[in-house]
Parts: sequence; C-alpha cells; structure tokens
Amino acid sequence: MTSLSAPYTVEFPFDRTVGPKVGTFLAGLREARLFGVRAPGGRVLCPAVEFDPETAEETGELVELAGEGTVVSWTWVSTREGDPLPHDFAWALVAIDGTDGSFFHAVDVGGDPGRMSTGMRVRVRWREVRVGEIGDIGCFEPVPV
Amino acid sequence: MSTQLAVIGVGQSKQAKRREVTIGAMVREAVAAAMADAELEFSDIDAVVLSKTPDLFDGVMNPELYLADAMGAVGLPVTRVFTGGSVGGHAAIYAAHLVEAGLARRVLVVAYSKESEGNFTWALSRGLPFSAQLGAGAGGHFAPVIREYIRRSAAPEHIGWQVAVNHRLNATRNPYAHVQRPDITVEEVRDSPMLWDPIRFLESCPSSDGSCAVVVTSEEYAGRTERPPAWIHGMAWRTETGHFAGRDEVNPRAGQACAAEAYRQAGIDAPLEQVDVAELYIPYSWYEPIWLENIGLAEPGAGWALVDQGRTAYGGDMPVNPSGGVLSGNPTGATGLLRFAEAALQVRGLAGEHQVDGARRAVGHAMGGASQFHALWVVGSTRR
Repeated sequence: MTSLSAPYTVEFPFDRTVGPKVGTFLAGLREARLFGVRAPGGRVLCPAVEFDPETAEETGELVELAGEGTVVSWTWVSTREGDPLPHDFAWALVAIDGTDGSFFHAVDVGGDPGRMSTGMRVRVRWREVRVGEIGDIGCFEPVPV
Repeated sequence: MSTQLAVIGVGQSKQAKRREVTIGAMVREAVAAAMADAELEFSDIDAVVLSKTPDLFDGVMNPELYLADAMGAVGLPVTRVFTGGSVGGHAAIYAAHLVEAGLARRVLVVAYSKESEGNFTWALSRGLPFSAQLGAGAGGHFAPVIREYIRRSAAPEHIGWQVAVNHRLNATRNPYAHVQRPDITVEEVRDSPMLWDPIRFLESCPSSDGSCAVVVTSEEYAGRTERPPAWIHGMAWRTETGHFAGRDEVNPRAGQACAAEAYRQAGIDAPLEQVDVAELYIPYSWYEPIWLENIGLAEPGAGWALVDQGRTAYGGDMPVNPSGGVLSGNPTGATGLLRFAEAALQVRGLAGEHQVDGARRAVGHAMGGASQFHALWVVGSTRR
C-alpha cells in the first residue's frame, strides 16, 4: 500500500526591521567595522543589542571595536555543508577586546586542532563580499605572533 | 471575585506601519508608558503575560523568549497567551487571575503585532496539502456571517456604512489610531470597492503595527498615584468550536455566556442602561450590531437600530469604540488588549480627546478565531 502525498512548499515571507541600533551594527559589518554597544554600568556588549540582558534597560551608544580578542572556550568540529569553513574548525567563544562577555563564532586554524588553545589571541577575518549581516564575519583566525 | 482588582497602568504605541523601529523597541514604547503611568520599576512586577497572534503572522517563533528583555521580564515568570484576535483580552484576564489567586502582586500584560513584517492574509490562508485553498483571508470568512445577520435582522445596508463613518470620526480624536480620515462620508464608504460581499474596503480594518501594555494589581497596591485606577467589576472568557453542524456564528453561544458571566459578577442586569461606553472587537463594520446583540447590549435583531438612531456614535447614549476601534487600527496581537485598555482609560477619565463624559462603567471586549474565543471585562471608576 502506498500513502498519498502532495507537494508543500514552506515559505518564510518575512521582512525584519532592525532599527537604528542593530541597523548601525549591521551596516558596520558591511564596511568591515565591528561595533559593540554600551550597557548600564559601562559594560560593552557585542553583538550590539537594544536592551541589556541583565537589567532590561535600554542600551546606550555604539562603541567601535578593534576586532581582536581571546578564545574563552572552544570545541573542535568536522566541517559539513553550510559551515563557514571548507575544512575542520573550532566553534569558539571569543572575548572581544573592550567588551564584556563573549562572541560565538568559528575559528580557522587550517584544520589542525593542535593549534587551538584556550587563551589564544584571534582576530576577525572579513568576507570579501559583505552584505550587512553577521556572516560578513567569515570567521576568526589566530593573530600572527 | 473575592479580591478587588484594578488596572493601574496603561500604555500604547502609535498604530501604523512602523518600519523605523524593531519589534522590541515598539513593544518597549507601550511597556515604558504603562510602567510610567503606574509609577513602577521592573523590580515591582511579579509576572509578565505576553499576548501575541500566531508566530506565522510576523515570523517570530516564541516571542515570549525573543522579547524577554524588551518586556523587562528578566528574572520573572513569563506566560504567553494565544487565542487568535481575542488574545489581548484573554491575557488581561489571565493576569487578573494571577493577582486574584494571590500568585502575584502586580502583573504586566504586554501585547503587540508588527504585521508590516509579514503577510497576514498569506498566514491565514496558506495552501495546505489535501484541502481547498480559498485564499480569502479573514474577510472571506466573516462575509457570509454578516450576510446572514442582514437577512435575519432585515437591517438596511447603510448600517455598515454608518458604523465605518462613526469609528473613523472617533479615530480623529485618538492620536494613536492608524487610520485618520476626518472627511469620511457614508457615500464614500458606499462607493469604496467591494472586497468580500457585503464588506466594502472602508468597512474593513487595516493591518497595523502597534503595541499595548497594562499593569493589573489588587486593591492593596492600587490608588498609590494621582491617576485613579480602573476597578475590574467582572471578567470572563468562553470558547466554542469553530465549525460544527448547527453552530450559530451570527450569535455565538460562547459570546453570550462570556458576557452573561461578566455582568453577573459586576451586578449588571440591564447592560444597555448600566454600561456607559463599550470598546468592542469590530474588525468589519457589521460586527457592531452583531456584537451589541451577542453581548446583550441590544435584543437580537435590534442592534442595528441603535446604530441607525445615532446612539452608538460619539455623543450617543451608548458610544461604541470612541478610540476609533479595530476599524481604525488593528495590530491584531494587541487589538484585544487595546479594547480592554481603552475601557480602563474611559473609567479613569484619562481617554483624552475621546473621553466619554461621565463614563463610570465600561465594557472591553475581544473576539478571536472564527468567533470561537470571547473575552470581556467590565471596569468601573469605583470599587465593585
């Protein structure tokens, strides 16, 4: 016995408004510039958000960052279709200089897990073609010593 | 209700196509206004209730998580209520239940829709395998119900046009309303395009972005600011199945039962005489007489005469939707709460230019789904 089947196309026809704060953060990415946002108590959060996750207060001014940081924690993964790198890499939490907390992204060490370590220094590697989204940061890479 | 319950804060955003702000920032506009009205900080709130239509409408899964920061819900219990267009009314009642049950001192109710970020008619009428795709949207569903109301009541066709004019003129006195048509006439409504016979374009609600928030508390924590609270005299919600043989969608039993229970709690036995103003969920003009009859503000078949005699217009003895109502602004997730909030503003004397003189008792009403979900509260200027 065979079951009935019918085609069904799933659509997502949505159009998100990003507003002035997140919009400036995304426009910065397109220009290969990284911004954080000032939270109450002087903390800086990156990626930029409209409301402080700790106090729910509105965040303040945007702060330009150098795009370098320190690996706080990481895990090694085999690359799959859709991943940011064509070879094996690390997913890592990166504490970006001048910010509080950490930023989750890929770190490219050329497929060699022996080059990954907690505390290592990394910097943003920008994509050549940037469109104003988080993927404009292709990955992080080790800062040459 | 054993405890006296009250609304002590009301806030709302401008209803419009709001492409300059994020969902979070638009929600915060109403939240900040309600908290300022109540003169409270987030640390004074014990629970947050979010009112939102289906995720598909504007494309955010689990908005109660997405908006935790915008709602000031850090460290608080959050509940999302979910009953189609009536959801804002249900959320307000649920918040009042939390206070009444002694589970919270003050509850913040938050409601929004940002329909410009999605496609409402697509979301309502998406094609599914094995079922006919009507693609008719909400109007296509309600048009035959309206046709049946007109047949039963023998109402003249200008009633729908007059309601459309009344509500749009009311909206000119509400700076938050989306649709502003100060020059609208019955002839203009009559000559507007037919969308779903007998519903014409100007007899239909818009699709809006907007938010609303209220703070509900008990007597112990009410009356601490200069602005008076709205006291909740009665509240009820009722449900029925959307489609079944023999169902009367022109006068749904769930709506009748919902109103009867709220009136019983409020000690109301002659609603038309005892209620000063009503904010009703009227997405298409003919739903004014339909709901007047369903919730007992008119006898069956007699609702349209109240419209014809000008009694439901601003300045009449039973003004309906002095805010301009759903016909003048419809951020669906917030629309029900806006009706409840506007009723509260009226009895607090804080409705601004659309204040109804001497409003001491008001009805806020919301309807959802295929007239399946009904919510209603009666609020008053004095304790119950």
